[in-house]
Amino acid sequence: MTSHIHLAINKANRRPIRTLGVIFVAAFLCVLPALLARPASSQTPAEWDRFTTQKSLGDPNAPIKMEVFDDYECPACDQFYENTLKLMIDSYVAEGKVYLIHRDFPLPIHLYSRRAARWVNAAARIGKFEAVERALFDNQMAWSEYGTENPKGIMEPFVKGALTPAEFERVQRLMKGCEVNTQQEIKGCALDGDIQHDMALGQLIPVNETPTSIVTYRGVRYPPIVGAMSWPLLREFFDQLMSQR
Amino acid sequence: MPASTQWTANRVLLLIGRLCLAIVFLAAAYGKLRPLNATPWTLHSLEVTPSSLNLSMTFFAMQLDSYRMLPAWAVSPFAHTLPWVELAVGLLLLFGFALRYVCIAATLLLTIFYGAVIHSYAMHLAINCGCFGPNEKLDAWTLVRDGLFFALGIAVTIGAFLMHKRNRAAVSSSPRAELSAR
Repeated sequence: MTSHIHLAINKANRRPIRTLGVIFVAAFLCVLPALLARPASSQTPAEWDRFTTQKSLGDPNAPIKMEVFDDYECPACDQFYENTLKLMIDSYVAEGKVYLIHRDFPLPIHLYSRRAARWVNAAARIGKFEAVERALFDNQMAWSEYGTENPKGIMEPFVKGALTPAEFERVQRLMKGCEVNTQQEIKGCALDGDIQHDMALGQLIPVNETPTSIVTYRGVRYPPIVGAMSWPLLREFFDQLMSQR
Repeated sequence: MPASTQWTANRVLLLIGRLCLAIVFLAAAYGKLRPLNATPWTLHSLEVTPSSLNLSMTFFAMQLDSYRMLPAWAVSPFAHTLPWVELAVGLLLLFGFALRYVCIAATLLLTIFYGAVIHSYAMHLAINCGCFGPNEKLDAWTLVRDGLFFALGIAVTIGAFLMHKRNRAAVSSSPRAELSAR
């Protein structure tokens, strides 16, 4: 009789544990596809490589590869571009020491960053990435929400100024369906695919802030560098990397 | 609680606090000096060479630069010195050598670190802390953690001074001391 009671108590005690176990396994199975999912993209790897090349500067076979996750409206990104990246592009990128890859990472806190990224991606598709990127960063204070100019968010004149009329017309055509100023992905805007792909890559690292730079040397990826650092320090880092055996 | 038991308890507390502070400084030095591409806390991460040391310290200099608190000329020398100072302070705390002075130095360093973290947080700088190595975001948790380290530093310093005073009083009131005084 007592053993029956013990059995019943044991069964009753185990029930919540079993239930919890079942809930845990069910929850894990629900989450599993999300964990295994790769970043969604409508592009083939070859197309993706082409877009990456279009938003890159320098020799792809350079010993150092530097990926910069940028937001065109972030003041630190502007500072980093003006004080560090420009100097690097003119020296180490031009000399074939560094391959610079731009990655879009428009932060949701910035009103016009995704719109700016769309313009740059449109320009990249016609091979004018560098000129438009430079124009937008050089004039960030004129079009961004932090600037003094009004109305804010007008960046077309700067894109136009960096291109020939024919090129601007091509870029405008690519921007069709992408004009709405929203931080959300616009269905039907092909340029958003490129941005989403970059963002998915950033989330894998994970990138939380901009600018975030990832340096790879001889296949070894170094920890992300968050924030803007000066060119002399970055150059010292590159020199030390290249002097390593 | 008898006075002797209280005294022993205080000594144990001071020892624990001192060791905790030593671990903080040694971990901070290790985080800055270990090879960048090695997995932390593995044997490989202890395989330090002059070039890997230089690279790690230059990487730390870039993190330091993102705080925008030091003039450009001071960033690199400071970054190449700080990890060694942290290592020395950590070792001295571990062995309890010149405890009061080392505690003052440790607390001064913790005050500077805490000030830098508060400044960056207030400025909304989206940067890495660099406190215990690369890839460490500076957020509200960093503020709380560094605040606790700062409080620990002050507590251990006060404890070290009180213990020293107590030891001196005990020595001067001992029969041998009384005899020698006569």
